[in-house]
Amino acid sequence: MAYKERMGDGRLVEMSKEEMIRDIEAGCNDAAERGKISALSEDAQERLLDIMISPERVASVEPENTVVFSTDNGCHSLYGNFSEAGGVGLPIHSVTANMLMERALGFDSVFYGWLDFCFKAAKAVITQHQQELESILMNTVSPCIYGAMPNLGGYYKPDGPFENVGDLMAEGKILEGMEVYERLVDHAKEDIVWVSEQLTRVGVDCINIDTTGAAGDGDFLSSLKACEELKKQTGLSIEMGMASEFVMGIHGGLEYDGNVLAGMYPHKQVKMAEKAGVDIFGPVVNTNTRQSTPWNIARAITFTKECSRVANIPLHPNMGMGVGGLPMAEMPPLDAVTKASKAMVELAGVDGI
Amino acid sequence: MGMAVAHGMASGMNGMRTAGDLVMRMEMKGMKIKEAKEYVAGKLGVGVPELSDEYRMKEVREELDIGTVMAVPGAAKGLRAKARIADILGIEIPCVEKLR
Amino acid sequence: MSNENLLEIIRESIVKVDRETAVQTVESALAQGLQAIEVIEKGLSPGMQKVGDLFERGELFLPQVMMAAGLMTQIVQSLQDKMSPEQTTKKNGVVIIGTVEGDVHDIGKNIVKILLSVNGFEVHDLGRDALLSRFVEKAKEFNANIVASSALMTGTMQAQGDLETLLKEAGIRDRVKTMVGGAPCTQYWADKIGANAYAENASEAVTKARELMAAQ
Repeated sequence: MAYKERMGDGRLVEMSKEEMIRDIEAGCNDAAERGKISALSEDAQERLLDIMISPERVASVEPENTVVFSTDNGCHSLYGNFSEAGGVGLPIHSVTANMLMERALGFDSVFYGWLDFCFKAAKAVITQHQQELESILMNTVSPCIYGAMPNLGGYYKPDGPFENVGDLMAEGKILEGMEVYERLVDHAKEDIVWVSEQLTRVGVDCINIDTTGAAGDGDFLSSLKACEELKKQTGLSIEMGMASEFVMGIHGGLEYDGNVLAGMYPHKQVKMAEKAGVDIFGPVVNTNTRQSTPWNIARAITFTKECSRVANIPLHPNMGMGVGGLPMAEMPPLDAVTKASKAMVELAGVDGI
Repeated sequence: MGMAVAHGMASGMNGMRTAGDLVMRMEMKGMKIKEAKEYVAGKLGVGVPELSDEYRMKEVREELDIGTVMAVPGAAKGLRAKARIADILGIEIPCVEKLR
Repeated sequence: MSNENLLEIIRESIVKVDRETAVQTVESALAQGLQAIEVIEKGLSPGMQKVGDLFERGELFLPQVMMAAGLMTQIVQSLQDKMSPEQTTKKNGVVIIGTVEGDVHDIGKNIVKILLSVNGFEVHDLGRDALLSRFVEKAKEFNANIVASSALMTGTMQAQGDLETLLKEAGIRDRVKTMVGGAPCTQYWADKIGANAYAENASEAVTKARELMAAQ
């Protein structure tokens, strides 16, 4: 018998039960080998198979097992453009968008951020952000998250004062590149702290330092240091979302709390986040577009389950386009999204998405 | 947006339709889902399973006047609803503190 | 020691960036009768391929990749006088690479550039936010075999399709092969716009580029 399944790019394919069993096992083993962690148990793999072979269009958890959602995008999806935000471009204000999210769409939190989504760039428009946040906070009931990313790449010339570290290293100036990269860390940290403090003044509930590590280990380090400082100074709630499944080593030697950050997978990243004072951690597992969704979801759950096992803070894994087992497709199919969602909550034991 | 809605239908508490916003507030304080649900249920005086029941939570939210998704004239909305949530959950909500 | 053992030591010394061992073992291999070109193709290149694989898994970091690339380049240069003129001028191919206009994400593209370079490709990098017309100009100027474009956003990846059109309009599409990469790209996307190859990561980009050259 053939079952309808998806590939990692969203295409519909037919797979036999045996092929799905093979892919689930292979996805688990790939994560276990890379992360040096345990694969999913046979029971868990069988349970995942049950979820995946369901012919229904929508999968769901039992009501008591429901979780909550934070967002790194939210209202942007309503008024933003499709490229940065996957947006549908409605001509509405951020307050209206957030009220729609809360009242019509049932979001657990509301959100504000700039489409540019970088702390450094937000400095120039901070009073506008404060004003919009005030309006959102006055009109909504759910907790409000402000999101942006450290984006160390924004500090390179011509956007910033520093030489591009990748270019320096490619020219053979490896030590110079590493020194420049080290200096970037504190610049980014200062910007994250400053912007967050300004938003604290108007009463934001939570800062989401998001897409952390996108520019490598220094990017992650700047976020951890900013979180530590913000916690001491403001007590603000902080969510941290990762950019990819392991921390890319642009420097390779940067440490936090005596641990080398480069090469860390989610179960080690979360311990750094806890140490820094993060309240909610969002691990990422990348989707391989050439593999099936059973393979990708099995792999994502294996990494996330281990992260969940060691975490003392809530986990909200990223489950958007091309991450968390979801296909890399602008409009991910309902069956793939809901199966991944159900499997992640039931098998990885996460606290939210 | 469709993706977030799909997640919401599959595994979400669905915010103010139930007690999702309240549980989210407690997770923002570092509580894991089980602890957060137990805390909120205790403060609302309901059982944990009821937190995800739209029918029951509409009733509870209206009784406590902590905001619902329905546009009921005179019912607490925005900051006013949040001030009541802060009192009921026994937490500080930053924008409510600014108001006070 | 067998030739295969020597080649294995060369491969590992590239991975470990162990200059002394690499140089000594290359000398031993040559003294034992291995050809310089064999040392490159069966020792140094696979070693560098492994470096790329380990980087993709988070087990090696950018400075080590750069140092390994530097070591390999130095050894290849030192072997030039031991190769025939045919071998020394032989390149795997000429590649024009860049991040498409409107997109400033270049970390992945830079890794691809480095791995292609140390694997014998002549690479011309247009940097980030590169005008599509420059891809065409440079492809003509350097008589390129491959035009490789990177995009990290669903909006900017449309430019990869536009590039296919521009190359056709310039009358050179049948002379070059095209490759696409970047987070939102897929094999399906490559097929849809008519690109010749899609690579999921930098190591695969080298494999795909070699396959494209072999098919030319």
